[in-house]
Amino acid sequence: MLLKPKKPVSSSKLVVWITLIGFIVLVLLPTFYLISYVFLEWDEVRFEVFENPIIGDENWKQMLKVLFFSFRLSFSTVIFDLIFGIPLAYILARKNFPGKSLLEDIVTLPLVMPTSGFGFATLITWTTVAGLGGVLGLNSGLIPLDAFIPLVNVPFIVFIVHVTLTFPYIVRTLATKFRSIDITYEVASRTLGANPLTTFRKILFPLSIPGIFSGSVLAFARSLGETGATIIVAGVSSTASIAIVRWTSEFKLATASFMGSLLVIIAWIIILPVELYLGQGKRSLNVPFVVPISLTNRILKFENYVSKKLSRLKDLVPLFIVAVTVIVPILAILNSVILYWSADPYTGKIEGGVWNQLFGPSQYFNILLRATLTSIIVALVSTFIALCISIPLVFIIERKWYGPPIRSILKIPLIIPTSSLGLSVLLLWVSQGFNLIGSGIWLIILTHIVFAVPVIVESMIAAYEGSDISMYEDSARTLGATAYNAIETVSLPLIKGGIITGFILAFTRSLGETGATFIVMGRDITVPALVVNMVEALAIPAALFTSTYLIILSMFLLVIIRITTRGP
Amino acid sequence: MPNVELIKITKRYDNVVANDNINLAIKDGEYVSVIGPSGCGKTTLIKNIAGIIKPDSGDIFIDGKRVNDQPIEDRGIGYVFQNIALFPHMNIWDNVTYGPKVKGWSQKESTPLVKEMLDMIQLSTRVEAYPSELSGGMQQKTAVARALTSRAELLLLDEPLGALDVKVRAKLRYELRRLVKDLHLTALHVTHDQEEAMSISDRVIVMRKGKIVEIGTPFDLYIHPKNIFTANFVGEANFLEGTIAHILEEGSIVDLKNGLRLRVTIKNHKIDDHVVIVFRPEFGVIRDKDDNKTFNRLSGNVIEILYSGNIVRYKVKLVNNATIVFTISLSIQDPKLSVGDNLSIYVPPEHILTYPYPKGGLSKELSLE
Amino acid sequence: MPLIKLVNITKRFGKITALNDINLSVENGEYICILGPTGAGKTTLLRIIAGLLELDEGEVYIEGQLVNDVPPEDRNTVYMFQQFALFPHMDVWQNVSYTPSIKDWDNDKINYVTSEILEMVRLAERRDAYPKELSGGMQQRVALARGIASGARILLLDEPFGALDARLRVNLRSQLRALVKSQKLTTIHVTHDQEEALMTADRVVVLRNGRIEQIGDPNQIYSKPRSIFIANFVGGANFIEGNVKKVDDEGSLIEFRDDFQLRVSTPSTNVGEKVVVTVRHEDTLIRTHPVIGSNNFSCHIESRIFIGDSMVYVLKLENGITKSSKGLLSDNYVIHNIGKQRIFSFQPGKCLIFSYPQTGLLQEIEAV
Repeated sequence: MLLKPKKPVSSSKLVVWITLIGFIVLVLLPTFYLISYVFLEWDEVRFEVFENPIIGDENWKQMLKVLFFSFRLSFSTVIFDLIFGIPLAYILARKNFPGKSLLEDIVTLPLVMPTSGFGFATLITWTTVAGLGGVLGLNSGLIPLDAFIPLVNVPFIVFIVHVTLTFPYIVRTLATKFRSIDITYEVASRTLGANPLTTFRKILFPLSIPGIFSGSVLAFARSLGETGATIIVAGVSSTASIAIVRWTSEFKLATASFMGSLLVIIAWIIILPVELYLGQGKRSLNVPFVVPISLTNRILKFENYVSKKLSRLKDLVPLFIVAVTVIVPILAILNSVILYWSADPYTGKIEGGVWNQLFGPSQYFNILLRATLTSIIVALVSTFIALCISIPLVFIIERKWYGPPIRSILKIPLIIPTSSLGLSVLLLWVSQGFNLIGSGIWLIILTHIVFAVPVIVESMIAAYEGSDISMYEDSARTLGATAYNAIETVSLPLIKGGIITGFILAFTRSLGETGATFIVMGRDITVPALVVNMVEALAIPAALFTSTYLIILSMFLLVIIRITTRGP
Repeated sequence: MPNVELIKITKRYDNVVANDNINLAIKDGEYVSVIGPSGCGKTTLIKNIAGIIKPDSGDIFIDGKRVNDQPIEDRGIGYVFQNIALFPHMNIWDNVTYGPKVKGWSQKESTPLVKEMLDMIQLSTRVEAYPSELSGGMQQKTAVARALTSRAELLLLDEPLGALDVKVRAKLRYELRRLVKDLHLTALHVTHDQEEAMSISDRVIVMRKGKIVEIGTPFDLYIHPKNIFTANFVGEANFLEGTIAHILEEGSIVDLKNGLRLRVTIKNHKIDDHVVIVFRPEFGVIRDKDDNKTFNRLSGNVIEILYSGNIVRYKVKLVNNATIVFTISLSIQDPKLSVGDNLSIYVPPEHILTYPYPKGGLSKELSLE
Repeated sequence: MPLIKLVNITKRFGKITALNDINLSVENGEYICILGPTGAGKTTLLRIIAGLLELDEGEVYIEGQLVNDVPPEDRNTVYMFQQFALFPHMDVWQNVSYTPSIKDWDNDKINYVTSEILEMVRLAERRDAYPKELSGGMQQRVALARGIASGARILLLDEPFGALDARLRVNLRSQLRALVKSQKLTTIHVTHDQEEALMTADRVVVLRNGRIEQIGDPNQIYSKPRSIFIANFVGGANFIEGNVKKVDDEGSLIEFRDDFQLRVSTPSTNVGEKVVVTVRHEDTLIRTHPVIGSNNFSCHIESRIFIGDSMVYVLKLENGITKSSKGLLSDNYVIHNIGKQRIFSFQPGKCLIFSYPQTGLLQEIEAV
């Protein structure tokens, strides 16, 4: 006998439909519109990029150069992240020591920090007298602005900023993955005679390859799309994301959208194989060649030596990196604000002081207040709407047969460079698309919803899958709770932590977002965008103050995250 | 064939003392089990020996060498986990050859032992299989083989059969013991299952609240336990309160109230001492009602009858309102009783144990949690 | 009319058939144990009854009503998980009063019912504790109390003792049975522990590879197992492979290794047929002299295993086959020393006879 469908419950059907429509219109369409736009407007693209009557294909050459630079930068960033992120994640996942939760907070900080403010702090730290240079007694910054890292040929300061901002993605993803792997595998390996390093190479590493890949994908995408901090520190170098912002502001929409599409497509070509591989749920990578026994023995000896003699080193180097990239910039910018408070300490000019710029003729304080209001409205409204879509969406993902594909699709907005995303939203809602909304605060909100939804959903799913929800729900159902009752009384309270964390992560991300916001904001400026404008207007003391203000705000939010997630 | 010695081992977790001043010596080639209720510190004990945790104080010697500061991998132990912990990304062959590989032994050196172990657990034909493709019992055998190919001589077993079906468990425990004895290993086996411990061990350690309560052979622990807790933990028993009424030449008379009196063989009590008498359910003999010997007789009404195969378990309410449990084997006799019937049982004095009444009360002493 | 009726239930997971054509009726107030090894389909069956899993074929009736399409909350069943699934964010009181409060009873009634039930499971003093502060045994009692408070008449227990210590289980078994009987609940209890099943159930359902192998009261399952698999799985038995030599009024004469012969009181069908004779470990005796009217074989004691209340002996017969004997340790039981020459004796009436399984004997009795 064939089963009849379950009793249709009209209200729950309605919720599912509204959620799915909201998801498609607010999240999916904006994500994919950019590429279709390029096809629709192909003639214009060709005209601007390849067959410009004045400059020929100069734009195309420019594009290739910028793209090449961006990918070089992102790759080297991810490699560096991995080398130092893996040991740090291991420490966070497996060791207990005083100050561990503080360390975790510090690692997470760049995740919630508005990038433009933080980029500025890093710039001050490395390239000015007010930063490390001054501390070490130099008359200039520790590193000249145009210092390049050999081999990969990217500016040192850009590299540092990218490492700092992407580091938490690797460390957090990996630490979570490590924690999810039963520690008894490692203990078993130790009892079988393997030292800690060999154990890591043969057990933990192969088992956490999916985590390593997904962390790398996130970090890579983040680096590719980073705009706020890069714009401040990049100087003459231009990344793909910055180029998109610049071309959009010059109204070269076709060029910008072509570039955005290229960025998306190339990112996908790199990321897709990884995703497919992870989707297969393979056990591990099999080494296809036989390693000679003499070599393995040499590796074993080396690992023995390192495990016994140098174990401190692998703990200390990542800690040092975290300290230098996260804490020092914060201290440096605080220090600078104090130094510059009343006047420029070097020239003595009052106009060069923070006080004067804020309250003096330029009236930056009023602008800052207005920007803060815009930022908070945007963050609150976009996160709230995203939350309304995300909560039912998580239950759809976990229970419906079409849930898993939705979950895969949701990763796309996360790995699309934000400036491409901003452009896509602009094209969709403004003149070229629906023509419903103009640039400004509402458009910013629509943009932020696109990445807020996946952020909240991921965080909720982590909580959902980590706490045996289906068992508790089944239990509630047989105790007489309807599906709706069970969600309300059992599931939602149990994943409360995940919801709050997701909310705050999305909120801070919205608060700090620069790349996309720049493209869609029109005249409604947000605080991170303001920092960029200040730097470009060379109002350095005002930028110092605004950056500090942003950093303190995000640290405050981080404290809230810790309090809410630490509870039972 | 190493021996193990623990001297004054103490380990605290926050406010809980998991191991409280433990002294213990295990001889070469001995099979020793540790039993006790959840949270008694038995797992902490073997983790201390393995080096998975470090004791707060005290010394651990393996084969006469102090190993407190040795990392796990240098202690020469094999550890078998309750959750089996076969490496999920390696097949059976790679799992079993893991120890030799990470120790850098040449294949020529290790392969014969590996093959021998695989033959012993009858898995030689399935070396390509991954752990998830094997049954729980097979997986645990592989885990034991894996521990042995790294030439461990001290086997630490942490609830090794806990994840398996009762039936599989009962079969594997004998295989475990045989393996340990055939290969002349020393084994320390942690379990919450007293029957498992009794059936395979040379000696059993009973733990409670971080302390060792008693150590003895299974038979001694069951027949002559030194305290009420052990008597209760190693198997079902009847516990009755009473006072010493008379001291005789060959023992004492215990008064259980309402005219119930039992003779016991123990003499070292004073008249009016508050005592607990203990006897096992299977150590009673059914007496005819009209048998006129009333010596050491307990009578009452059957209030519950439970069958477990050919063993019948009667719950009897005595005239002093205490309930006792009494089991007989149907292959020896079948009294054909039903609920409500009167039952009269003779309890031989030599099978009655007597203990002073515990200070904290009897029910606290009998608590298994 | 049976309270629960399962008709031709089949459930597949991909290529694996987890349940194959299951038919079962459960009467009101009955205590049923579903017994079987890991992977037999026990939990799948329980989840189908609860409505937590959809079935591929067949019908589930509760109180005469077809409930295939009825959601779990309307089936009058309550499902207790092995890990108890107490809601971690609620205290004992909130857990137990869960159903009354979501059903919006008035407060007085909720308070009355909840305190009544907490009293019954002796947890009134721990009403403000959270699940993680309770011991395993207490958690089990809270889960039971929560189930009873839900007002469901059918209790579905998935390995209710699985998370508890072995020694504790023995004490709690009869308590659990007494509690559900006093509440007049109908219970279906899933377990892989045959002793647990025999001691708690009114009827036992033996499940193997998704099929019901036998249904019967504990005594039937134990003394009249329908297959070699059950004879081995429930209790434990000696298996003797042999051929039917003669069939007469007193039963059959079986010849096994080295022309040894034994008598079985049940007649078998064909002379010459290859058969397996089973006799339970505990139905055999070790004696110094032959027992009249029994099968007697001289043997020597190979090893002895003390398992608490009983002693198990492993014996070697003179034709080289190894058998076991188990007996309760009591005052009329003699302890035999290893190496001694003894008589292994069992009555023809205690033997069962099965035709030799097509897949081989080992396949049927290999538990691992």
